[in-house]
Amino acid sequence: MTGRSQQVALAEGLARQGHIQPAVEACYQALRIDDADPLVHCLLAHLMLEGDFYDEAIEAATRAIEIDPDCSPAYLALGLAYDRRGGMWDQSILVWHELAEVVPDLVTAHVQLGEAFSAAAFDEEAIDAWRKALELDPHKARAMYNLAIAALRKEGVATALPGFRKAGELDPSQDDFFFALAGIKDDGNPAPDPEDVEEDRESRLEAAGALAFEEDFFSAAEVIRWIFDEDHDDADALALSAYLYIKQEAINEAMACALRALSINKRTRTAIYCLGVTFSKRPGLNEHAARVFGALAKSSPDEPIPHVLHAEALLGLQKFSRAETAYQTAIRLDPACVRARFGLAAVFFTEGRHAEAMWEIRRAAYHDTRRQGLFWDLYDAYTEGSA
Amino acid sequence: MSDDASARLYQALVNQDAAAAISVIEQVRGASSDTGTLFESLFAPAMSLLGGAWAAGTIDEYTFTQAAVVAEQIGSFVMPSSTAQDTGVTVLLGTMHRDHHSIDRNIIAAALKEAGHRVIDLGADVRPAEFLERLDETGARIVIVCAQMMATARSILRVREMFLTGGVDDAVILVSGGPFAADKTLARTVGANGVISGAESALKLVSRAARDLRKAGRIS
Repeated sequence: MTGRSQQVALAEGLARQGHIQPAVEACYQALRIDDADPLVHCLLAHLMLEGDFYDEAIEAATRAIEIDPDCSPAYLALGLAYDRRGGMWDQSILVWHELAEVVPDLVTAHVQLGEAFSAAAFDEEAIDAWRKALELDPHKARAMYNLAIAALRKEGVATALPGFRKAGELDPSQDDFFFALAGIKDDGNPAPDPEDVEEDRESRLEAAGALAFEEDFFSAAEVIRWIFDEDHDDADALALSAYLYIKQEAINEAMACALRALSINKRTRTAIYCLGVTFSKRPGLNEHAARVFGALAKSSPDEPIPHVLHAEALLGLQKFSRAETAYQTAIRLDPACVRARFGLAAVFFTEGRHAEAMWEIRRAAYHDTRRQGLFWDLYDAYTEGSA
Repeated sequence: MSDDASARLYQALVNQDAAAAISVIEQVRGASSDTGTLFESLFAPAMSLLGGAWAAGTIDEYTFTQAAVVAEQIGSFVMPSSTAQDTGVTVLLGTMHRDHHSIDRNIIAAALKEAGHRVIDLGADVRPAEFLERLDETGARIVIVCAQMMATARSILRVREMFLTGGVDDAVILVSGGPFAADKTLARTVGANGVISGAESALKLVSRAARDLRKAGRIS
């Protein structure tokens, strides 16, 4: 393969900026110059996929692979096009299998392969593929969600629920929600050194939050201790302590801090969140968790995560129709919420609505792969490798 | 419940004295508190005191952690059980002969077990005679028959006929599966008493059937 032509570079630039229509036109221009350039075909496949033109995406990706069987971004586009189009599981399995061969450490390929196996009713093979994905990346939430769904189909909700919660913890959106509640934003600057923090309560709380955000829990705890030295009844600092303990799996300590915070100020939303999380770790406290997360969802009606947490607690109580409502609310607020989509799929399975459940899993895959921007990673690696 | 009991539980936690903590719980339980109430009125306030003491520096980090370990040890005494109490209701469950679909049956069985019912899952591909045999063996009066294909759904009639032939006219047959959602009249045609449309629906219908059977004196 030769280096990228000017026309290809133009198409690529437009595609990266999300200008789909001009990028497609540039691709066709490039093909008129050289119709055997796999880069252009795979770029075109990606653009067609973005526009939800699946048949066209399949055609372009297939052509790219015919020209160069090692064109990994084309495999990705082809597999996603098969999956999103639906009803082409046999082909989908082959493509994901191939991509997993071409790029063995590509975790998403194994997750997608599992989903294609599952859709084709090869349940054991699907589980193997998801396990392989978790071997490669133990933090791959989507593999864990899929395993939870597999557990649900075999053994019911009680077995599946811990898997959902574990997957939820891997999903960064839950921590993001806590930090949003605490008013901690990622401003791009590193968290301060504890020694450099101003000696007032606000600066210390902000610094502790920033340190917690960067997962420097030891320093965050040190700064919080200085706040307690001034005022040990600081509800916000107690709630942040509860969060730090949750992150270290010290659930009883977290519960103690959250309860103390709420005894000082029962409207401390970060403490409500932490209390709900500690309750959700105890299967016997599902009802308490549902109450707490229900209250949190009411107080943060525009945030999807509390609705998801509420829904998960309701799943634990076998209140499936109420869980469905909560999940639907979360999806309405954030259609790309993968956790809510998998949860809703679980509810649909409990109601025998398998087609709708599979649809939700496919939508979750759609949003997850879009969010990852995986195509461009593979595209860049491919162009670097073949330049 | 007095604040005093919570304070004593807190002290037992700080002293890392699980026996004393259980003793406080048992004393309060003797004053007729159920486990759910114990958690809210005894354990939670004691934990709040613990959090407060740690923040105030009254207890150090090590003591806080050790107290949390004791709280873990006594958790089962104050937290509601994760499994529901046995309802005493036996439910026979199986997928119809020549039908191998299992997902819905697995989910329904798990939901009923979780709710405290005694579930006997006969699996897939169950012949009508087997339903009758197991009904006789177990004394169950609620039977859930799953079928995902039209032919197997129709053949559920043979289960009802088998029961009648065997002299069982008081069994409640609940059916589940796509054909019954597609054809609302099918359930009645095969002699079913109700249609289950999912796990939650199974919980509701089984509870209702159990209540009716109890009223009629068919189950204890």
